[in-house]
Amino acid sequence: MSQTIEVRLRNRLSELERVGEAVESFGEAHRLPGKVVQALALCVDEVVTNVISYAYDDQADHQITLRLSLGTGELAAEVEDDGKPFNPLDAPPPDLTQSLEDRPIGGLGVHFLRTLMDGVEYRREQGKNLLVMKKKLPV
Amino acid sequence: MEITEQKKGSVVLLVLTGRLDAGTAGRLEERLVSLIDAGSRSFVLDFMHLDYISSAGLRVLLMAAKKLKGLNGRIVLSSLKAHIREVFDIAGFSAIFPTYDQQDAAVGSFQ
Repeated sequence: MSQTIEVRLRNRLSELERVGEAVESFGEAHRLPGKVVQALALCVDEVVTNVISYAYDDQADHQITLRLSLGTGELAAEVEDDGKPFNPLDAPPPDLTQSLEDRPIGGLGVHFLRTLMDGVEYRREQGKNLLVMKKKLPV
Repeated sequence: MEITEQKKGSVVLLVLTGRLDAGTAGRLEERLVSLIDAGSRSFVLDFMHLDYISSAGLRVLLMAAKKLKGLNGRIVLSSLKAHIREVFDIAGFSAIFPTYDQQDAAVGSFQ
């Protein structure tokens, strides 16, 4: 059984369903805990949604590559895109104590990354954005 | 995602099935906006068959709740699966949206 899978996605929001399926089937194949799989599926979705929504100024087709890999006691997901440089971690955290009227719409995706992942790193390499998320597996 | 709509007196019941993500949230937004524009003010969203929600789905719920607040209307939710409840908790949305375990209780909360 492969410890790494790669999924190529088009920059269309309809691809998010495939993102969910890929993370779930990877989780099933490796018998990962449901909570870990759900957290990773959500965070990868948020990152890919951001890329599809904001990374491209043109209307052309672009490939976004998702890699899932299982290491020792740790699950990693990488999202690679050829969009404009963008580090989602630069976004300020939302104020969750604000009342309904005052609360800005948006900003939650990055909050999910910070809350649910054990590590998130952004790199710009060879004209591509690379976002790596890591989640520790329960012992 | 599928949306089925029923009227329970003055309450609009929307049952969501599948995934509420950035690819599908626009359909819910359109439905809610057109119902609000047509005069509906009381909404129950039943999540019993909802398998997944991302921030794009939460954004639509917040938008509708804000719109309704100014019109003396509201949205309540029912039958959230445990992992969806967790997303609401992390987002701080559990304090914003009244939630009920059963659809009947959610509809009844408007009486």
